[in-house]
Amino acid sequence: MHVSVWREVAGSNLGRAGLLLIGAMVLLAIFAPILTPYAPRENTSTPAFSRPSEDHWLGTNDARQDIWTQLLYGARTSLSVAFGVALLSGFISVLIGGTAAIFGGLYDRFWMRVVDATVAIPDVIVIILVAAYLRPNVFFMILLLSALSWPGGARVIRAQTLTLKERMHVSASRTFGAGPSHILLHHIIPDLGPVLVATMIQDARRAVFMEAGLSFLGISDPSMMSWGKMMQYARVFTYLEVWKWWLLPTGIALSITLIGLSFIGFALESALDPRLREREKGHDGGI
Amino acid sequence: MAGADLSMEDLYKRSLESPMGGLKNQRVTAIAGALLRRASFFTNYAIAFALILVLNFTLPRLMPGDPFQAIYGEEALLAMTPQLKAQLVERLALDQSMGQQFVAYILALAGGDLGHSYYYNQPVLAVILDFLPWTLLLTGSALVLSTLLGLFLGVESGYRRGRRLDKALLAGLMFLNGFPDFFMGIVLLLVFGVVLGLIPLSGALTPYSGLSGLPLALDILHHLLAPLAALVLVRVTSAYLLTRNTMITTLKENFILAAKAKGCSEGQIKYRHAGRNSLLPVVTATGLSIPQMVTGALFVEIVFSYPGVGSLLYNSLLTRDYPLIQGILLMVTVVVLVGNLLVDLLYSRLDPRVSHAR
Repeated sequence: MHVSVWREVAGSNLGRAGLLLIGAMVLLAIFAPILTPYAPRENTSTPAFSRPSEDHWLGTNDARQDIWTQLLYGARTSLSVAFGVALLSGFISVLIGGTAAIFGGLYDRFWMRVVDATVAIPDVIVIILVAAYLRPNVFFMILLLSALSWPGGARVIRAQTLTLKERMHVSASRTFGAGPSHILLHHIIPDLGPVLVATMIQDARRAVFMEAGLSFLGISDPSMMSWGKMMQYARVFTYLEVWKWWLLPTGIALSITLIGLSFIGFALESALDPRLREREKGHDGGI
Repeated sequence: MAGADLSMEDLYKRSLESPMGGLKNQRVTAIAGALLRRASFFTNYAIAFALILVLNFTLPRLMPGDPFQAIYGEEALLAMTPQLKAQLVERLALDQSMGQQFVAYILALAGGDLGHSYYYNQPVLAVILDFLPWTLLLTGSALVLSTLLGLFLGVESGYRRGRRLDKALLAGLMFLNGFPDFFMGIVLLLVFGVVLGLIPLSGALTPYSGLSGLPLALDILHHLLAPLAALVLVRVTSAYLLTRNTMITTLKENFILAAKAKGCSEGQIKYRHAGRNSLLPVVTATGLSIPQMVTGALFVEIVFSYPGVGSLLYNSLLTRDYPLIQGILLMVTVVVLVGNLLVDLLYSRLDPRVSHAR
């Protein structure tokens, strides 16, 4: 199945909306230092809990820190965790799933048993348990989340590779004496593209969610700027009016990121599902 | 070429055996295969469970410093008498080798001893059992409600594919699904609790109200409403999308045409002919979503201070009551794995193909 990831996503309304939302978030995260004069932990001279003003677009929190600035730097954390997990977990998925499908035999069985057992584990629980002891920072968070999210991807990649390796051009290349690594790198991985991107987007979405969740529970590195942590702090002050510019915008930023990723993912998945693919115009199953 | 090592197959993908093999042989292999698969699937759960046990055992012991301190946390040590400490060291076999410690740990677990919570000053198991019913109530009702609602909306939406209602539902539910459940909870709490004052801000029932019977049930329902709504709004999408997809493919089948020709009413076609086909994938998906539902409930409970395991977990994380944290996560794992197992069994009962085919 030759599916152009870009064309499928950009060709559907849902996909375009998702790209727009994520693109905006990425820009905010990258240009954070330009978009705000403050540092995320800087205690400004404005009184605590002040309302939104020209100097502080979203007011200040209980420690006189600028909320807009924290929001921008929170986006950096969220997106770097998402990006890191997507890359690392995608890489492991291809490595394990791809090689398992190509070599087969005992090697394949071993890895599939590992995958089956890991998928049966409720991963959020393991992550909370490990995080409760180790209070992960961004780097460790990426490792931890990837360690639990690769098996799902590996299963999908393996299935896809199994069908790909029976294609004519792969047989042809094998007859010319190509070894497993050549076949994997030159014939399988390029065609895995869309499926791989779909699993990576799913991983990224889960990573954003988990990072926020762990920070919301207060079990991530305390020095890490994070939306989840902002919400944990802000939640205590719901009896004041500050939730309107502290709690709500933070939650909305988090939701926009998640919604953007799931829109892109959905557009891709419906492009990959042959049953939903059948359509007159635009493939997003009706929208 | 592929197929060289495969046995021959007939038109319907049934393997062609020698005529002498006969039906009996085939059935024996089918049953053996089913048993094998059943066994392998129990092994998966067993491995998953063992992994959690090993993690629970190793994590505190990997921490730098005194393992006793890591197991019980610094704050607990301050409140502990030397006798209690000596007793706990003996119970955990901390003065012995790692192997013996692990045996002691497993034996204690087998006896239902999950450790001692210093914050509640009670055995961990007793604390958790106090909080568990509320979580089961919340998770169970959210699972049932989101599945039923998803089925209903999916059937209606799939039947009207491409029309306005379908488009609105699809976009709306996809959008809701993007919300993290704890933020959905926060929004509901802010709108209906803080601004409108329609729902209670915390708890699962009004304390000291002395209610009983129907008023008590209504009071519990009143407190349950918002957390339940938060979970269902976010989680209904998976059942909905699955049902919708199945509807779309099923509606193209010939038997639907036959049903229409026969003069079946729209409702009969929607639910009795087409909708039934979604039941199976949706039940499976519901089973697979148990872990997410449980963890979602943990977060939502925290937002609403609902006195379930989630709030307990949050509290134990704040007070660093490590034995309690471990105990909760172990209990949740057991609940999740048992739930998954039940669904797997139910699934093979619902679909005879699963237990025989493959």
